[in-house]
Amino acid sequence: MTDGDFLRVSDVSKWYGDEQVLDEVSFGMDRGDVTVLIGPSGSGKSTMLRCVNRLAEAQEGSITLDGEEVLSPDTDVDELRREVGMVFQSFNLFAHLSAVGNVALGPRRVLGLSEDEARERAADQLERVGLADQLDSYPAELSGGQQQRVGIARALAMEPKLMLFDEPTSALDPELIGEVLEVMRALVDEGMTMLVVTHEMSFARAVADEVVFLDDGRVVERGPPEQLFERPEKERTGRFLERIASHD
Amino acid sequence: MAGATRPRTVGERVADADPSAGRLLLVAAGALFWGWLVVSWVNRWLGGPIAPVGEPFVAPDAVESAFAAVPGLAAVAADAAFVVELTPVLAQGTWLTVVITGVSLVCGFFIAVPLAVARVYGRFSAWLSLGYTELLRGTPLLAQLFVLYYGLNLAASVPAALSGVFPRDVVWVAILGFTLNGAAYQAEYIRGAVESVDEGQITAGRAIGLSKIESIYYVVLPQALRYAIPSWTNEFVYLIKYSSLAGFITVPELYYRANQVATDTFRYTAVFLILGAMYLALVLTASKFMERVDDRVAIPGLGANRDR
Repeated sequence: MTDGDFLRVSDVSKWYGDEQVLDEVSFGMDRGDVTVLIGPSGSGKSTMLRCVNRLAEAQEGSITLDGEEVLSPDTDVDELRREVGMVFQSFNLFAHLSAVGNVALGPRRVLGLSEDEARERAADQLERVGLADQLDSYPAELSGGQQQRVGIARALAMEPKLMLFDEPTSALDPELIGEVLEVMRALVDEGMTMLVVTHEMSFARAVADEVVFLDDGRVVERGPPEQLFERPEKERTGRFLERIASHD
Repeated sequence: MAGATRPRTVGERVADADPSAGRLLLVAAGALFWGWLVVSWVNRWLGGPIAPVGEPFVAPDAVESAFAAVPGLAAVAADAAFVVELTPVLAQGTWLTVVITGVSLVCGFFIAVPLAVARVYGRFSAWLSLGYTELLRGTPLLAQLFVLYYGLNLAASVPAALSGVFPRDVVWVAILGFTLNGAAYQAEYIRGAVESVDEGQITAGRAIGLSKIESIYYVVLPQALRYAIPSWTNEFVYLIKYSSLAGFITVPELYYRANQVATDTFRYTAVFLILGAMYLALVLTASKFMERVDDRVAIPGLGANRDR
């Protein structure tokens, strides 16, 4: 298959001590693509995601974003992270800041906007995720779903060219998952380039351009969702999908 | 205990009384105490427009005869007069105690925060911070003051710009000593609070492009310093009392003054009871003040102290 080259991950390997967590992982995305990483826990999905914005350091291989090598020692990591938004499983909202404060911090301190401009941008982003009425609420006063939407708005406020989602709905009560997925779907419709680690197979099926199945740090199989979900080529993929399905 | 008519304890009766009455009493006592101190200090700075410098605002003799006229109070009339007689000395000593404590605490804080951050996030600097903290906490404060005062003779090298601010230059030496020592203790309290901030907070800061230092400054510290307030208040309270050690290097603060009076009059019990009450009032003020600060900066859901 033809690989996109907006984000290109080539033969990325990583070890924690003696334990290899990523083993020559490769895939590529075009601008506007949605790629979903699936796999059992401990398969290296989250680590792979974190290598892209260098929250984790890959020891071998290459990752290029828009033609620039991400893993090079010369890369300005803070600059890279300005362009790559990240949404966390546990939200990680700044606990001392209101919703608008959470979203405005990056524009204010990283992009250097004025206090008013940053606030305005934050309010716009919160409106985009349907939280226009919660601007001044603190994280502890918001539901999990609302917190995660603030998390998404916080990443969007940096106007990233790539968004990373690290199991964005795994910490949520089932009835709150829908509102977060809805926001993510809207982003897909707007043409955002998204790399998503998730267990929400129906979401993956509906929006992914490509699904990558990781197991034991290796890419077992990848392809368009209809192919990977309906006609997996590898036996391990099929077994994993069956296990997941039996939980739904 | 249905229907039991056991006598109610004093504590229960106090608890049942209008809580605002107790509060009012405390506020009134505080206002009286601080009002007296401030008026005394201003009176001294202005050269005694209200009462001659060194003289009490009310004549001790008048107080004695007033007390003697009331049947129940006649027995303590002489003591009351003695307290009044002491007021100028107490106010004068308290000024230095307040200044030394306040300045040392604030200066120490600005050393303590980097020490705590270095300890948690540094590598080489973590060892430096640990070494400093252990050295300063592990040796007697009095010994540290003696080294600065007698050993290094720092009182002789107070910069000209600072000289003359206080009645004696040695006050600066005391402030330096308490700053350096207090910083070590404050750093320990703040370190604990920094460690208790969830690691995901700094990760999220890094993820939006803040550097490590910026993440610590904008994300970790605003939370950690709020967590630290209740335990940090301990250091505030300790420092008020430790500041009495400045008396040993001839700083005429509250303890030094009171001790002088006691030696002169031989009324040790009375003098040190009054001295104790003075420190108690200062400490109560400090802890009430920090409670207010804690409430003022509180953020919903942040910090265990918010659970009450």
